[in-house]
Formats: sequence, structure tokens, C-alpha cells
Amino acid sequence: MHINWEHVLTIFIASALINNFVFSRYLGLCIFFGVTKRMETAVGMSFTFTAVMLVGAALNWLIYTYVMVPYQLGFLKIVIFIGVVAAFVQAADTMMKKMTPALYYKLGIYLALIVTNCIILAVPLINADEHYGLFESMALALGSGLGFSLALIIMASIREKLELADVPKSFQGLPISFVLTGLIALAFLGFSGMITL
Amino acid sequence: MTNTNYGTIFKNGIFGENPVFRLALSLCPAVAVTSGVKNGFLMGVAVLFVMTMVNATVSLIRNFINPKVRIPSYMFIIATWVTVTDQVMAATQRAVYKDMGLYIMLIVAFAIVLSRAEMFASRNKLLPSIVDGASMGLGFLLALVLLGIFREFLGKGSLWGHQILVVDGKAVKPLLIMILPTGGFFAMGFMMGFLNWIDRKFFGGTGSGGGAH
Amino acid sequence: MVEQIAHIMTPLFHRMLDIVVNRLIPQAGVGGSTEAVEYVAPKTILLAVGVLAALGILFGVALAIVAARFVVKVDPKVEQVRETLPGANCGACGFAGCMGYAEAVVGNPDVAVNMCAPGKSAVAEKIAEITGKRAEKIEPKIARVFCQGGASLSRRRFIYSGVMDCTAAVLAAGGDKSCEFGCLGYGTCMRACPFDAITMSADNLPLIHPDKCTACGKCVAACPKQVIELAQASKAVVISCHSRDKGADTKKKCQVGCIACGMCVRTCPVEAIKIDNNLARIDHGKCIVCGLCVKKCPTSAIKDHIPLRPKAFIDPAQCAGIDVCAKVCPVNAITGDLRSAHVVNREKCIGCGMCEARCPKKAITMARPAAAVAPKKSREKEPARV
Repeated sequence: MHINWEHVLTIFIASALINNFVFSRYLGLCIFFGVTKRMETAVGMSFTFTAVMLVGAALNWLIYTYVMVPYQLGFLKIVIFIGVVAAFVQAADTMMKKMTPALYYKLGIYLALIVTNCIILAVPLINADEHYGLFESMALALGSGLGFSLALIIMASIREKLELADVPKSFQGLPISFVLTGLIALAFLGFSGMITL
Repeated sequence: MTNTNYGTIFKNGIFGENPVFRLALSLCPAVAVTSGVKNGFLMGVAVLFVMTMVNATVSLIRNFINPKVRIPSYMFIIATWVTVTDQVMAATQRAVYKDMGLYIMLIVAFAIVLSRAEMFASRNKLLPSIVDGASMGLGFLLALVLLGIFREFLGKGSLWGHQILVVDGKAVKPLLIMILPTGGFFAMGFMMGFLNWIDRKFFGGTGSGGGAH
Repeated sequence: MVEQIAHIMTPLFHRMLDIVVNRLIPQAGVGGSTEAVEYVAPKTILLAVGVLAALGILFGVALAIVAARFVVKVDPKVEQVRETLPGANCGACGFAGCMGYAEAVVGNPDVAVNMCAPGKSAVAEKIAEITGKRAEKIEPKIARVFCQGGASLSRRRFIYSGVMDCTAAVLAAGGDKSCEFGCLGYGTCMRACPFDAITMSADNLPLIHPDKCTACGKCVAACPKQVIELAQASKAVVISCHSRDKGADTKKKCQVGCIACGMCVRTCPVEAIKIDNNLARIDHGKCIVCGLCVKKCPTSAIKDHIPLRPKAFIDPAQCAGIDVCAKVCPVNAITGDLRSAHVVNREKCIGCGMCEARCPKKAITMARPAAAVAPKKSREKEPARV
């Protein structure tokens, strides 16, 4: 099985920086704004998200490659991917509560939020559409997880300082956060052209 | 909640609980697809269709679903309708679908669809549910079109692909950044701030709304 | 027999499916796409149904097994303990919120029952009752501010007009106060307190309300200068300064800073004070809270937190003239001949309580003087009980 490592690396960097899921593809915004009010929640969410992303992408890839492609059931993508992620998150939730209660108290709340996260669904969909192999899918998943974590941490550090600033009443809360995200997205524009995919 | 005042339900969907500007739910596509009015419009139509159908379906079978498995069943229904929409749009609007295919498929992850199904359609009869779904979808559509107009006009000087700002025969693109992701975020932020301001000034609302979810 | 039926039924079933899908359901007539097919094979439909059904069954079974195997038994005692806790989720106990402590104290035999600082002994007793553990007496703690240099008593290095918050002010070259160890006075601690126990005085110093303070420690963590510390509430005499500058420098920066002159060290009857790195510190294990050092400190850096010191009152009926009290009194406030009733000079008495502790006849009581303190005359009227 020939693996094009250069391609894998390209996908990884592209999904983390150039096509950052938050700043270039506008995905995962709901959770993004909810969790970046404080640094600890942002960090907690980064860990949980990357973990769920990796496992979720792997499971979905397996089912897509070995069940859906041979039987030409591509049209069942959406239904099955969401089902798999939901079931997996539910199982992880129950198991974590029993096996690692300390970890569950810290990170368990984020699990429930992740299920309807756009990115968790987007990555398997992209993997399916582009017919990526296992390593490429994993690279995309890892890159998206790291890129999302980067986005969360940057946003959280800014928003913590933002609390001390004098924001106009109408803009407090979400509107100013959007404008901030726009500014960071502007910065991330600098990455485009780094690699031609 | 058996509110069958259709007027109220309708207004609620568009103004009171406008999914994008008031509830701040399902923001992902609002920023992603509105680089052109046409894209925004089609996305809005897709969401309108999905929400109406999902609400109708859930309302029809609300008495037959075991409460313990209701969320998975709702997700399943939503996923099915989204697949249908996705396939139809892929076939009929090939060009647009190339840009936004992914976002259409992500309608299934919208919090607004699931929450409306859970909060309204599972407790109300068929017709009010349909009206609710349709009005929420319409509110979403209006929001997207508004954003699309804002962004496309400032970014490309055109509307629905037709060039409007023309100087000396050349197209004028006043603020190209509006088409880029940055512009999307800016547009969203300013639009929300502006609507908050209107809300506070004329309707006496609290105006720093948006639950960030 | 079964084979024959199956042999007939299968093509019939396929045919029916075919009719329903391809004839009854209108064709959308999409065309134009390379993927669109006009004829839907029944096989596809059956496969889709089959795969979904299989996956559904698989998930259902897997989740059911996981839910059954990984069940977490919730002890009803945990709920009971949780009810007794104040519910502020302040984290002083060191666990993740009140629920975290409730679970820990019920589930873990090593966790003490008295770790809830806001709950104090009342909650500790209730928890001891529910869990069957012993409740040990906890020494109540309180937050103390180790700075008295308010705006009028200390100097500023520059005018700060930034965000009025200590954490923000400290970013500007360590804050605008001359003394780098002192309180900046912008009220970050006040905002951090979940029990509203801190207010800012007119002189920009935090005032801690002893009744509301639960020693949860949030203010300690919030202060960027670490001016607030948790201390035993009973040890009410505190050297309210953290300045490690040399005495001469401290005097320039603040009128009430500790200049490490050593007067308190010499005055202390139990040698509880030591000077370390230009700062005097009281060893609270030895301190008897007599309050002598407070009077002797030349810069008034030592603060006595007891609002009104009680005075000693000797009951002449009980006094047997043993004279122990006069010997231990650090200010020589007790006079009297042997075997005759002794009298306390109210003026000199500083209310340290050493005589009361030593009197074998228990003839001495510490009592707060009545509202209008009679100057220079010791009236033998019954003072208010302490």
C-alpha cells in the first residue's frame, strides 16, 4: 500500500493553518463562542475535541470504506456519520463517568456539546468526498483538532482581556467577538499560499 | 404548549426568536455561504425546506416515539431530510453546489433544527408545527439574504451576480475583504450590533442578546 | 417447504418493491447528472435498509451493554451531604464544586468532614452525622489584608489612568504604588469575593467583613500583589505589612509600614515576633493576642482586629489576694496587697486576658465596659458581659 507522505503532511498543515476550520471555513462557531469566555474551558474543550475527532474520524472512515463504498450506499453518509459520532460520544460519556470520574468532571460537559459540532461531521464528510485513505483521513482529523485548539486558545486569551475593555452596550457579548474573530481570520489569511493544495 | 395563534408563531420565527440574530444559533453557515446573495438565498431555501419538513414529520409521529430515544430519532429524521435536500440540490443547482455542498450537508448539525423539533414540534399539532418550522426557516432565510446583500454589494459591487456598481464600464469592488472570511465575521458582528442597537433604541429590549450558541 | 415459499416470495417481493419505487413514486426527472439513475434497483433499497438496521441494532446493543456495565451507583448519602453544603461552589475545599466534595466525603474514607470553609462547624457536624465520620473542631479562618497604606498614607510613583483593576494596574510596571509590596486598592479582591465580604474603604483599602468572610480563598488568589492571606480568626493581632524594603525606604514610601525597628520583638512577653528580611512577623502559635506590640509600634504597622478590647474585672468577693495576676500583668495594671482584694486599673488594662487565665480562684472576668466609659474612675458597676 503506497502512502504518499508528502500528501499526508500537506493535508495536515493545510487543515490546521491554511484552511483553518474556524477562520477559513467558518465551522464550529457555536461552540467556539460559547467556550472561549475563559481559558480553562477553552483548553478543556480542545482536549476533548481533538480526542473525539480522532476516534470519530477513524470509525467513520472504517464504515465508509468497508461498508458504504462496496455497497454503493454513499447517500447514507450523513445519517450514518452522525449516528456513529452520537453513539460513540454517548458510550464515551458513560465509560468516562465510571472509569475516570475526575476527568469526567473536568471535561465531561464538553462531550455533550460536541455532538452537534459542525466540524465533527465535516471532517468525515470531506474524507468521504475526497476518497482519502486512512492516513490522510487521520491527518485531516488531527490537523483540524489542532487548528481548532489553536483557534480556541487564541480567542480565549483575547476575550479574557476583553472583559476589562470598554465595549459599547450594543456590541457586548457576541457582536464584538465576531469582529475579533474577523481580525484573527485576517491574520490567518497570511497563511494562504503557503502550500498549494 | 398549544399555542395556535399563527400570527404569533409566525412573527416569533422572524423577529422575536430569529435564529441567527437573536438566538445566535447555527452561525456556521450564516458566515460561510453569504459571499453572494444567490448562495445565501439557496441555503436559506434549503434550511426552510428542511425545517418545515422535519417539524411536520416530528409532529406527525410525536405520539409514537418513546421519550428515551427521542433525540436519536429526531436526529435520524433530520439527517434523512437533509440527505434528500442535499441530493436534490446537487442535481438541480450544480454550480452553486460545488461551493456550498459541505454546508448543505451540515444542516443536520444545526442546533436550531433539533431544538425546534424538540421544543415545539414534539408538543404541537401538525399545522402549528409546520408554520413554526416555516417561519423559523423564513427568518433564517431573511437573515442570510440580508447578510448576503451586505457582503456582496460591498465586496463585489454586485447583487445576485449582476454587477451594479460600475464606473467607466469597469466593475467597482469597494471593499474586497467583505467576500473573504474576515468580511463574513465583520459583517455578522456589525449586523448583530446594529440590530441590538435598534432593539434597544426602539423596542426597549436588553439588546446584548445572543446566547453564543 | 420453507425453501419453496422463499423461492416464490423473494422475486415477488422484489417486484413489488420495484413497482412502488419506480412506478408509484414519481420520478424527479433530474437528469443531466452523471450520477442520476432512472431505475432504482430494489437491491439498493434493501441494502440501505439492511445496513441501517444492522447499524442501529449494533449501536443499540453496544450502548445498552455499556450503560449496564458502567453504571455508577449514586449513593443517596451524597445527595444528603450535598443538601447541607452552602452550594456556592467556591472550591475552597479543593474539590470540584459542592457536588465534588459531597461525593468525595461520602466515597473516600480519608476525606475530612470539616473541609467546607463557608460551612464551618455547623456543616461539618451535619456531614459527620450523615457519613458517620468524626467531626474535628476546625479553627475558623479569616482573610486578612497585610497592608494599611491607603491613599492618604502612602505615596504613588506615577498617575495611573488605565483600567481600574489591580490585575490590569500591575501590568504597568508593577502598579502605581511606591511600595511594591502594598495594596493597589482598585478592588479586584472585592469583585472576586463570592460572599460580598469585602468592601473598599474611603482610603482605597479592602475592608473584610468578619461575619461574611468564609475564608474560601478567592481573594487570596485574585490579588496580584498577594497582600491578602488567610489566618486564624482568633489570632487578631496582625502585623499589617509585607514590605521587605529597608526601614528608611519604607518610611519614605508609607507612613504605616513596618520599618523593622524591633520594638515589637522586645515588647512581646512571649517572644512571638521575629524580624526576617526587614519585616516583622508574628508566630501565631506563640502569640497570646495581648496587644502590647500594637501600642509600642512607632509606625502603627501592627493592627489589632478586636474592635473593642474587654477589660479585666476582679470580683472582690472571690479574690483571695493570691497576687498571681499582678505578677503576670504585662502593664502592671493590677494593684493590691497580698491576701486582700486586688483592683484592676482600667486605664492601664489592655485586655490581654493573661490574668483571667492565671487566676486560680477564677475571680477575674473579661468584660467590655459599658457604652460610656467612665474616664479615670473605676466604677464597680456591672459591665456588659463579653
